[in-house]
Amino acid sequence: MLEPFTLPFVQRALIEVLILAVGAGLLGTWIVLRGIAFYAHGVGTASFPGLVLAEGLGFAAALGALGTAGIFAIGVTALHGRRRTGYDSLTALVLVGCLAIGVILASDVFRSGASIETLLFGSLLLISWQDVAIAAAATVCAVAGSLVLGHRWMAAGFDPESATALGLRSKVPEFVLLALIALATVSALSAVGALLATALFVVPAATTRLWTSRMRSWQISTVALVAVEATAGLWLSVKTDAPPGATIGVLAGVVFAAAALTRALPNQLRRHAPVAASLALLAIVGIGCGSSDAGSNAAASGSAAPIVVVAATTQIGDLVTVVGGSEVKASTILKPNSDPHDYEPRPSDVQATADAKLVFVNGDNLDAWMEKIVNESGSDAKTIDLSLGLPVKLPGESEGAGASKFDPHWWHDPTNAEAAVLEIRDSLVAVDPSAKSSFDANADAYLRKLAVLKASITACIEKIPSADRKLVTDHDAFNYFATAFGIELIGAIIPSQATQAAPSAGDLAQLSKLIESENVKAVFPESSLSPKLADAIAQQTGATSKYTLYADTLGAAGSTATTYLTMMAANADAVVRGLSGGRQSCSIAGL
Amino acid sequence: MGARAVRLRGFEVARGARESVEKPTGGGASVATEPAPLAFTRDLSVGYGGPAVIVDVTFNISPGDRIGLLGPNGGGKSTLLRALLGDLAPSGGVINIDASVAALPQTERSRLDYPVSALDVALMGTLSRLPWWRRPGRAERRQALDALATVGLGDLALRTFGELSGGQRQRVLIARALVQDARLLLLDEPFSGLDAQTSERLMTLLDELASQGCGVIVATHDVEQVQRWDLVLCLNHHQIAFGPPATTLTSKVLEATYGGSIVTVPGDGDGPSRVILPPHHHDHG
Repeated sequence: MLEPFTLPFVQRALIEVLILAVGAGLLGTWIVLRGIAFYAHGVGTASFPGLVLAEGLGFAAALGALGTAGIFAIGVTALHGRRRTGYDSLTALVLVGCLAIGVILASDVFRSGASIETLLFGSLLLISWQDVAIAAAATVCAVAGSLVLGHRWMAAGFDPESATALGLRSKVPEFVLLALIALATVSALSAVGALLATALFVVPAATTRLWTSRMRSWQISTVALVAVEATAGLWLSVKTDAPPGATIGVLAGVVFAAAALTRALPNQLRRHAPVAASLALLAIVGIGCGSSDAGSNAAASGSAAPIVVVAATTQIGDLVTVVGGSEVKASTILKPNSDPHDYEPRPSDVQATADAKLVFVNGDNLDAWMEKIVNESGSDAKTIDLSLGLPVKLPGESEGAGASKFDPHWWHDPTNAEAAVLEIRDSLVAVDPSAKSSFDANADAYLRKLAVLKASITACIEKIPSADRKLVTDHDAFNYFATAFGIELIGAIIPSQATQAAPSAGDLAQLSKLIESENVKAVFPESSLSPKLADAIAQQTGATSKYTLYADTLGAAGSTATTYLTMMAANADAVVRGLSGGRQSCSIAGL
Repeated sequence: MGARAVRLRGFEVARGARESVEKPTGGGASVATEPAPLAFTRDLSVGYGGPAVIVDVTFNISPGDRIGLLGPNGGGKSTLLRALLGDLAPSGGVINIDASVAALPQTERSRLDYPVSALDVALMGTLSRLPWWRRPGRAERRQALDALATVGLGDLALRTFGELSGGQRQRVLIARALVQDARLLLLDEPFSGLDAQTSERLMTLLDELASQGCGVIVATHDVEQVQRWDLVLCLNHHQIAFGPPATTLTSKVLEATYGGSIVTVPGDGDGPSRVILPPHHHDHG
């Protein structure tokens, strides 16, 4: 039952959450007591511009987040000193400013790559020792601050009108409280992310508040509750193969709801609360033990014959599965239709990477997070960056120190897919030379299908008058496709390869004008992004936005685009229908 | 008169009062035999950034004075108390405070929820003497416990504040004021919700403090109660009257204070008539 905690990356996660529990539990009580939950929530999210700057100028992300959080705390304290506005509205004020600056920095100054948003979403399974050290420092500061300044924080909340008369003139203690919350939230960023930090900081303190009437007992029980919830959530997440941050969040919410419900019960029923709590605990253990144990399954299969291989993206996963055949057990980290930006790896992903012999990544910054999974899982796998040996490379659009020089969407040109297949074949042969004949045969068969695909798409596109071969897409993902098949790329609605950048009103107006003057017939939304912008542009210009393209991932099970070949065929069909005004289509046989 | 150290059952409640304060009513000449006022205001107006909520407030309070602050809801009683606390800056006129001030806030719902003991609340009074990086230590704790004993709550020091009765909560707040060395006590509706016996006990405590040289200002809407204080200040956005209740509380003043019709009951002797307000003025929660 305790075997999840024998996995090294789970052990490190456990140390991290137990350290965080002390700081988060302690500060959580102050957050709830002083009613500054929104501030605690906002300060993590507000680190966005700091992360953009860190990537753009090339310094450590933690430093950028910490800097912004510090400025956030100073800003809120300063505004609070001037006028007697509550912390909530001040937080909203400063938060909006921070987010707006972040979006402008990301869209117009640095044209950032997609890797920034990952930093706002943490993962407990990818904790480095540096993260643990930062959490420990934040916790030590929280304990010290609470011991020294606790009486003042308490008095200021008890009787704000008397603050001056009570000698609470100094703004320092209030600022220290906000700064400590900022420090702790940022230190938890890498573990649970900005959005779920509340699960550690606010929800457990609100839960124990229901049962305690004194600060000391409240703080001790909150620290204990955070530790228990985090440990149980981590254990449950390994057992059920769910993302740990979200599991802890759900668990904290359920415990709060149960506690609140019990409070509302009449006294004679409340006596049974311990029994109910025990039953609930049994149920959790039941869920955990009943579900497949991701960790040990993967570990057990690691000793079996097939080569364990991990692919970062869905399309690479498909290519590896085809070339590897039965000799290879391939796992894919990204799931179909999931935006790579907000993906939190599951325990099985990390375990698979830990056991893997080979890791295939897309490269060019599309899946930079994969490097972290490889590092923190303790894997000694060889990482193959498929972007390095490609015949066709197009320049990237991002700018800044962390940006990629090349456009990462190379697989939309089948010529590049051919090169990737050869690279995958050779890498597999190097690991298991005895299966060379099988890998060769699989690769040869697939290369023939790729040739059919390429010829068929070329034939389909050629039927469209060259004046109509004009493409407008959601974000800049189709340069390779357009170049390979002789289509002119008019523009993209999001003028960046990062999906979180926002187009300006001027950009959109210019694009609309361009669509009208060039007589573009269709704009193409993407399967993993909201079609709203594309729809709006289409409505304004008279173009259609009916046909969807697969830009970053394959289609989900049940769609017509579950493999690389069918995905490419689906995109070709959509483009042909869109550009011909629905009069033509493109169906390719023999895939 | 030299620096006074007033002791209340062995507890020091006052520091030396400076004598050289200019008397507001002295026409420029200070009278050495009278104690310097703890606080005075001249044509004070206070607001929250917009138009002033109270204007033309001129009064002074000397050691031992018990002042009843009378006025309708929304008439500016709490605003004046906050100005005296230093929580609101005056928008016009002069306010001069020459004593440490303590407030006894209304103990409404939010404070009853607060996870503090009576001792914790009394300890808050020590913070003004400590630099911000110092936490209250053993000596401060001793002092807080003494103050709680002084107000008769020595055995309830560790009880949760919200679990105490209304009268006990008021006494905890007085203990906090004692710990603060406060010489000017501001009380906002301290008697609302208290039964007669508890009110009487609180009143005795306040009388005792006043006899030791503290100034006490009690905001209330209860005309009958105000008769017991030394002075009364009638406030309805501007100052209606200030003086001893016997001469001040005429029905004309009360009408100006409360606006509406006043029921007057003839008193015995030649003192002022007992004045009872129409019932709806007592609905204050």
